[in-house]
Amino acid sequence: MGYHNGMTAPSRVSTQPSSFEVRILRQDAPATAPRWERHRITYEPNLNVISVLQKIATLATTSEGKSTTPVAWDCNCLEEVCGACTMLINGRTRQACSALVDKLLQEDPDGLELRPMSKFPVLRDLVVDRSRMFRALERVRAWIPVDGYGDRGPGPHESQESQQVRYPLSECMTCGCCVEACPQFAKVELRQRSDETDEQFAARKNREYDNSFVGAAAISQAMLFNDHPTGHMNAGERLEALMGPGGIQICGNAQNCVSVCPKEIPLTTSIARAGRQTTVHMLRQFFDR
Amino acid sequence: MDSSPQSFLARHDFLIRRLHSLSGLVPVGAYMVVHLVVNASVLESPAAFQKNVYSIHSLGSLLPLVEWAFIFLPLLFHAIIGVVIVGGGMPNSNQYRYGPNYRYTLQRATGMIAFLFIVIHVFHMHGWLHADFWLEKVARPLGGAKFAPYNAASTAGAALQTTVLVVLYLVGMLSCVYHLANGLWTMGITWGVWTSPAAQARASVVCTVFGILLGVVSLGALFGMRAVGQGESLQEAIQIEDRLYHHKVESGELEPNEHKRAAPVHETEGEMAQSQPSESINSQ
Repeated sequence: MGYHNGMTAPSRVSTQPSSFEVRILRQDAPATAPRWERHRITYEPNLNVISVLQKIATLATTSEGKSTTPVAWDCNCLEEVCGACTMLINGRTRQACSALVDKLLQEDPDGLELRPMSKFPVLRDLVVDRSRMFRALERVRAWIPVDGYGDRGPGPHESQESQQVRYPLSECMTCGCCVEACPQFAKVELRQRSDETDEQFAARKNREYDNSFVGAAAISQAMLFNDHPTGHMNAGERLEALMGPGGIQICGNAQNCVSVCPKEIPLTTSIARAGRQTTVHMLRQFFDR
Repeated sequence: MDSSPQSFLARHDFLIRRLHSLSGLVPVGAYMVVHLVVNASVLESPAAFQKNVYSIHSLGSLLPLVEWAFIFLPLLFHAIIGVVIVGGGMPNSNQYRYGPNYRYTLQRATGMIAFLFIVIHVFHMHGWLHADFWLEKVARPLGGAKFAPYNAASTAGAALQTTVLVVLYLVGMLSCVYHLANGLWTMGITWGVWTSPAAQARASVVCTVFGILLGVVSLGALFGMRAVGQGESLQEAIQIEDRLYHHKVESGELEPNEHKRAAPVHETEGEMAQSQPSESINSQ
């Protein structure tokens, strides 16, 4: 072992098991009953949850020896910048790609438990529909409007100070961990009716999303674009959106969002700043009109 | 249909929740602080507490108006919207064991306890309604309406003698105190007073100190009142209160008002003791 110890010291505990169990909550289709499935995986050092899922797909056999279909999951970047592989790992919301098995087994030697996120509709197994996250970005107009391509000269200056504030906010990958852990964020799951076209269903879904809690990520993005020297020109529109039904007022200050955020974005600071901006906006609306 | 207009509550949700937040501090929280400090003045003496009660009652016929406008209606608003807010939350402090998340769950639990406690407390001390029929036929037989403002310390103290009631008041009052102190902290975030983690940590220290001090005041009020309500100090308190009452009535400072006195409890006993000989004379 000798010199290898230095590289893998925290994970290579002498009592490492030869194999470990993975319990996965599987679901065949939206709105069908989920079921638990157990898999036994041969231990290797430096596994992450994605490689565990790949091993399970290769085995295609449960720990009871029954043949099974591969578990469905989402992933893209495999380096914790896209948010696609977000799931509940041992009850905690996080990305599968950055969840290291050695650490997880240290915390809980019983093995791994994988569940889909609980606040989004399950499409299949560990794949969920996070479109509500992106709808929330539309709701708060989390962009800088560009109304033409002509040269309008240099834009306003950006101070170093404001860069320091905005950079962490720009790291948000809309993974949904913040709202998954939020006790004020309720799941919205609608089913398409037989007499409904896809467009009608999408419109109904968006209406429902727009009246439900917007969530920490979108509030923080509204602050990011309100801080932008050009984006600031539309600050009022974003604040109006945050003051609408399902807006910032739903926040209950449990502050789980900032605790679980994989990018360590100061979400509760953004929420408090949005609180301040909406306070001022409300008073302005009331007295200046 | 889904295209139906949003409910009044949904359309004005932001304003309603901000008013809910504000009402928790002013007037409900502010009232609670005054209420506890005034009640703790019984530690000075039953007379000191009685004088404070007289200054509150010096509002006379305006008192019910002030009570409804600045205490009952804001409290009911805060409580009812609070129940709605609690209904919309899904506490998960078992799954996500973080300090602020425990405080979130506790804020909701103490809010519900406070609501129940205040309803019971207002019945226990005041009987909810002042109509004679209600007081005599319902409130008093059920152990309510114990407090008589012109025999303030003695009636309140005598009403707090059983262990069950002391435990109820301890849990209820400390829930109210926690709910106010923690509510003050979350209110600062909601309105955007403290935004950065460092500022929120400093505010948390201030709110904790405030909560501890108010908790001490509330314990002082409860056990101070309880001490006055037993044994010799009860008799002394009654004598002082009755002296103050007669003095105020004689000097014309106070309209006689037997409704605000503890007549059914102890004065009748005294009067009976005095009147029995004369009655026996009459009957002869």
